[in-house]
Amino acid sequence: MSVDAPFSHIGKPLPRKEDRRFLTGQGRYLDDVAIPGALQVCFVRSPHAHAKINGIDAQAASDLPGVVGVFTGKDLAQWTAPLRLAPPIEGLHPVEMTTLPVDKVRFHGDPVAVVVARDRYVAEDAAELVEVDYDPLPCAADTDTALAPGAPLVDDTLPDNLVSHQSFSAGDLAARRSEADRVIESRFNLHRLTHVPMETRGCLADWDAGRAHLTMHIGTQVPHPMRGQLAARLGISETQVTVISPDIGGGFGQKIALYREELTVAALSRHLGRPVRWREDRMENLTSASHARETHCVTRAAVRSDGRILGLELALTEDFGAYCFYPANYMARVIAMILTGPYKIADYAFDVKVVLTNKCGNGPMRAPMAITSWVMDGTIDAVARELGLEPVEVRRINALGPADLPHTMPTGEVLEDITPRETLEAAVEAVDMQAFRDRQARAREEGRLLGLGICTVVESTTYGSAFYKAAGIPGSGHEAAWVRIEPSGVVNASVGLMGSGQGYETPLSQAVAEGLGVTPDTVQVHMGHTDIAPYGMGSRGARGATAGGGTLYLCAQKAQAKVLAIAAGMLNLNDAQGLRLHNGAVERRLEDAWQATGLTLVDVARRAYLDPTALPEGIDPGLDVSLTYDPPAMTYSNATHACEVEIDPETGRVKIARYLVAEDCGTVLNPLVVKGQQQGAVAMGLSGALLEQVVYDANGQNLSATLADYLVATSCELPNIEIIPMHTPNRKTPAGIKGMAEGGIMGSIGVIAGAVNDALAPLGVSADQMPLSPQRLRALLREAGNTD
Amino acid sequence: MSAPVSISLVVNGETHDVVVPPRKLLSDVLREDLHLTGTHVGCEHGVCGACTILIDGQPARSCLTYAVQMEGHELSTIEAVADGETLSPLQQALHEEHGLQCGFCTAGIVMTFEAYLRDNPDPDEAEIRDVLSGNLCRCTGYQNIVAAILKAAKSMREGKQA
Repeated sequence: MSVDAPFSHIGKPLPRKEDRRFLTGQGRYLDDVAIPGALQVCFVRSPHAHAKINGIDAQAASDLPGVVGVFTGKDLAQWTAPLRLAPPIEGLHPVEMTTLPVDKVRFHGDPVAVVVARDRYVAEDAAELVEVDYDPLPCAADTDTALAPGAPLVDDTLPDNLVSHQSFSAGDLAARRSEADRVIESRFNLHRLTHVPMETRGCLADWDAGRAHLTMHIGTQVPHPMRGQLAARLGISETQVTVISPDIGGGFGQKIALYREELTVAALSRHLGRPVRWREDRMENLTSASHARETHCVTRAAVRSDGRILGLELALTEDFGAYCFYPANYMARVIAMILTGPYKIADYAFDVKVVLTNKCGNGPMRAPMAITSWVMDGTIDAVARELGLEPVEVRRINALGPADLPHTMPTGEVLEDITPRETLEAAVEAVDMQAFRDRQARAREEGRLLGLGICTVVESTTYGSAFYKAAGIPGSGHEAAWVRIEPSGVVNASVGLMGSGQGYETPLSQAVAEGLGVTPDTVQVHMGHTDIAPYGMGSRGARGATAGGGTLYLCAQKAQAKVLAIAAGMLNLNDAQGLRLHNGAVERRLEDAWQATGLTLVDVARRAYLDPTALPEGIDPGLDVSLTYDPPAMTYSNATHACEVEIDPETGRVKIARYLVAEDCGTVLNPLVVKGQQQGAVAMGLSGALLEQVVYDANGQNLSATLADYLVATSCELPNIEIIPMHTPNRKTPAGIKGMAEGGIMGSIGVIAGAVNDALAPLGVSADQMPLSPQRLRALLREAGNTD
Repeated sequence: MSAPVSISLVVNGETHDVVVPPRKLLSDVLREDLHLTGTHVGCEHGVCGACTILIDGQPARSCLTYAVQMEGHELSTIEAVADGETLSPLQQALHEEHGLQCGFCTAGIVMTFEAYLRDNPDPDEAEIRDVLSGNLCRCTGYQNIVAAILKAAKSMREGKQA
C-alpha cells in the first residue's frame, strides 16, 4: 500500500444516505411532525399594494366555532420587538419593521392579521370573515415610479425610496474612454423571480410554560442565527429557545430570514400556551414569502478595436420590494464587487442603487449575484457584435491566464487558485466552434436561427469572517463542528449547517471519515438542532463544503490525533509518530508500507471511555473533540458554460440543442452530489431565464399567484447537461475544497442570453430583457421584420 | 360545511374507517387521519404533482380529490411501494442515479412512474420526459430522474425475462 495515498473517502461517488427515507415516504418534513393539540393559523393578507389600515373588525371571524382568536399588528407589537437593520454601511438607510403592520400595508399579500383555529380549514374560513378597513394609497410598483419626484413613500421613515446607494471608482475611467476606439453601452434586465421550494414555508411553535421554553420546529438553513433572532425578538434568552429543523423540501435562500409569520406563530404559542402551527399555501409562497432579482444593469465598456476592454462602468438598480429582511445592498454589492471576474480590467467604476417599491421584499436566492456573469460576458458579446469580432477572441484577449494569478480585482478582491482560462478553452474545444459556425451559416441559409453562447463564471463561494467585517455586515463566516467517537467505536458528528435537500449527510460523513480514518458508513452527521449542533452560521452562499466540510475534516483530524495518542500508549510507543487510523484500524508505518497493529478504533474507544486510568499521561478520558474554523475572506470556483440553441421563428420557442459546463470547484467531497448541484443550478437558472416571472401590474397587483402563472420549467423544457470536471485544489482551505452550487445559475443565465443573441444577430436585434419567453422572442422577431 | 361523515377508505390494501368533513381533501385525510405522511402537498392546485397517488392503479392528484369520493376505490401511496426492506427497481434506480435531492417531489414521481412503467415497459427518453412533465422538481433539473427511470425500465424488463 502506498504511503502517500490520495484521499480514501473524499471524492468517492457514494449514493446518499438520506435517499432511503425519502424514497419510501419516511422523510420527516415540517408537516410530518405531529404535536397533539396544535392549533393552526391562517394569515389575513392585504389585497392592496399600498394602503392605510383604518381598522380591523374580527368579530364575525372570532365568533366562528373552532376559532381561538384573531390577532393583529397591535397585539404582536406588545409581544415582540421590531426588526431594526442599521449596519454601518455608507449610503444605506437604517430601517425598522414591526412584526405585523400596524398603520399601513406595503404590498399585495402583506399580512395584516392572523386567525388561530382548531384546524386549517376553519382558520381559512375565519380569515375570509375578517374585515379590514383600508384607505388605498398611491403605489410605487416599479423603480422608475419609486424614484420619481414626489413618489409615494414605501417606508414613511425614509426621505425617499432610494434605500441604498453606493459608488466606487478605481483607475481613471475618463482617460480610458478618451483613449478607447469605441465606448459600447449594453443593458441587462433580469426580471423578478421567486424561489419556489417544493415545500413552502411553515413552522410549529411549542411553548413549554413550565420551563418557559420555546421549541421551534422550522425548516431553516440557519438554525443558530434563527434561534438568536427568535430569542431577541421575543425578549427571551437563547437558553429559552430550541430550533429544530426537520427535513427541508428545498430552500434556495428562502429559508434563512426569520419571517414575520414565523415570529407571529412563536409569539402566539407563548401567548396562548398551546402549540401553534402554520403551513404556507402556494399562493402565499409565490406572492408573500420572498422575491429576488429584478436587477437592471447598464455597462459602458471603453474598448480598443481589437476588443481589449480598457475600462468598464456599471450602473445597477435593484427593485428591492417593500421590506428589508437583509441590508438592502446585500445582494447588489456582491454583483458589483465581482463583476470583472475572469477578465483583466483595472479601471472599473460602479454606481449601485437599491430602491424600495410596493412589492414583496427581496432576499438572496440561489446565486444572489445571479446576473453578474450575464452582465460581464454579455458586455463581451456586445463588444464582439459591435466590432465584428469572434466572441471567443474577445474573451481571450481580456482573459486572466495562469500567469496573471493571483489577481487583485479593482474592488480589492483577490483571485487565486482558479482556472477560468482553462475552462474557457475546454468548453470552446468541446463545442468545436468552427464546426458550429459552419453549421450555423448553413442553417441561416435555410432560414433557421442557431446560436451559440459562451459564459465564464467566477463564483464567490465561501465568505469568511474577514469578508463580513470588511463589508460592514454583522455576522461571521466561521463554522463549528464536533466529532465524538462513542464507546462502541461508532462516530457521531455535528456541524452548524443545515441542508435543504443537497444531501449533506453523505459528503459530510466522507469529510469526517477522511479526517478521522474510518469508513463513511460508521459516521452519522447530525444537523439542524440547536441543542445538539454547535453554534454555526448555517447554510448560505456556497459555504457548505468549505466551511462545513472543511471544519468537520479538521475536527476529525484532531480527533484522529487523540485516538493515535491513546493507541501509542496501548502499543507501548513513546508517541504517535508513524501511526495512522485507516478505515477504523490503527496502522503503523514500517519502511515504505503501512502495517496492521491489531488495534482498532473500537479498542481505543473502549480504553478512552471505560478504562481511563490506563490512558497515557496527560490524555483526558473520552473521545469528544470540537473545533471552529474561519475560512479565508473569500474562496472562488470557476466554470465556463457553453450552450447551443435554435429559435423557432414561428413560435419564439428556444430549444436547447446542447449544454455543457467545464467546471473547477476544487476538491470534491462527493462527485455524485456535486453533479446533482451542477445540474440543478443550471436547471434553475434556465427556468428563470426562459419561463419564470413574477408579474405585477401598474397598481402593484401580483398576477402570478399560481404555478399555472408562475412557470417553473418541466422535464420537457430542460436539456441534459454535459459536465467536464476540471477540478484543482485551493491551497488555502482544508483538503483543497472551494465550494460550488450557485455558479450554475450565473453561467446559465449568461450563456442562454449569449446563445439567443448569437442566433438573433443576423436579424439586427438583441434581447436585453428576460425572461427569454416565446412572447418576448416573437416580439423581437416582429421588430426585425419577421412577421410570419 | 356539512357535518362530518363516516367513510371507509381502502389504502395499500387495508381498510380504514374514518369520520371526515365532506370538504376535506384526500391528501389531508391520508396525511392527518391515516398518518400516511409520505404523500406531500406542494401546491394544492394540481400543478406540481407532489401529492400524486394511485387511484385504482392510475396516477391522480390527491390534492384535487375529496376523501368522500373515494369509497369503493383502491388507493395506493408511496408507503406501499417498497417490498419490506427491498426498494422497488424504480426506487433503487433513483437512489443509484441520484434522482432526488430534497425528496419532497419524489413520492409523486415514484407513484407516477410505478404505474407508467407497469403499462409501458420500454419507454424512450422523450416519452419519459413527456410523462414526467406533470411533476415539478426544483432541485435536480430532471436529468438524473430520467436516467433512473430508463434504468429502472431496463432492470424491470430484465427481471421479467429472468
